Amino acid sequence: MEDQNLPDDETLVRRAQNGETRAFDLLWQKYSPRIYSLIYNMTANHEDSNDLLLEVFAKAYRSINGFRGKSSFYTWIHAIAVNMTINFVKKRGRRFQLSLDDLDTNVQNDKELIDLAATNSPIREVDLSELQQRLNEAMMKLSVEHRAVVTMFDIQGMPHAEIAKILGIPEATVRSRLFYAHRQLQNYLEEFRKK
Amino acid sequence: MMLDEQQLQKLLRIKRFEQPPPGYFDRALIEFHRRQREELLRRSATLIWWERFVSGLGNFRVPSYAYGAAFGAFVVVATIVGSGLWAPYQDTADLSANRVVLSGPEAQEVAVNRLALSGNLDWSTFHHTASSPKVVPVIRPSQTALPRYVLDGRPVSYEASFSF
Repeated sequence: MEDQNLPDDETLVRRAQNGETRAFDLLWQKYSPRIYSLIYNMTANHEDSNDLLLEVFAKAYRSINGFRGKSSFYTWIHAIAVNMTINFVKKRGRRFQLSLDDLDTNVQNDKELIDLAATNSPIREVDLSELQQRLNEAMMKLSVEHRAVVTMFDIQGMPHAEIAKILGIPEATVRSRLFYAHRQLQNYLEEFRKK
Repeated sequence: MMLDEQQLQKLLRIKRFEQPPPGYFDRALIEFHRRQREELLRRSATLIWWERFVSGLGNFRVPSYAYGAAFGAFVVVATIVGSGLWAPYQDTADLSANRVVLSGPEAQEVAVNRLALSGNLDWSTFHHTASSPKVVPVIRPSQTALPRYVLDGRPVSYEASFSF
């Protein structure tokens, strides 16, 4: 979705600050898939992710004039998304249902998945949709703060430093959250295997 | 067998393949525009103005020369006031002199003379003897009592009436 021909973020933000709605649309085009993925992996619900995505961009649109460029637009909008999603999930509490997006058909050809299925791991024992369900259920058992870190690091591939900037916490905290989240996920997935 | 760290990370990366339906982001952008228009119509002009103002405050930066200018202005005002060319509190100072209670016979005399000269002193309200160290205004009870009015030949009182 990300277009290489798009102007850089700084230019787009400046144009959006001058009231050019087309520039903001280009920022949407560039960042909405990532922001959607971040929210979706924290909520595990497509409808909630859709609503939150629109709210995040609405908030960014309203606050774009206050954006001073001390951080990148990428960090700024991710910070908005993470904070809004954390608030939403805390307010929602335990009342939610998984509403998962379909797995892209390319997943069948994913080299890492093939490698993983070949090893002696729980993955050998479940089909893909079941695996998706289990993974999401395990993710949902993490606290929302831990889920945010796992989403950004393991799913979106962000470096620790970037996650620390987005969450406004030290890098060491990011690492420790990741460590505990991984331990918890390993335990949850082990429980599934024993079933 | 339990997943090791690497296997877990590989497994989590599979979640990248969970994608919304094709064309979702274009439709969501149209929905975003629709909501923006709706919100714009719903919000009052005052709210829009306020949001712009608050947002503008975020961008407001004090120019570097403003600090120098403010300091210069302070020095000029301090010089004028300090040299006595302009004393904005002169009147207030005079009024403060009318505060009557002073201790010591000299202070008492100064205060009484000042009030007498200004014509503000009502001698009849003072009980003044040579032995008294302070000037004490004497207020009669009738001066503090609430005014009483007579309507239809009957006095009006705030006291409870017992004539039923």
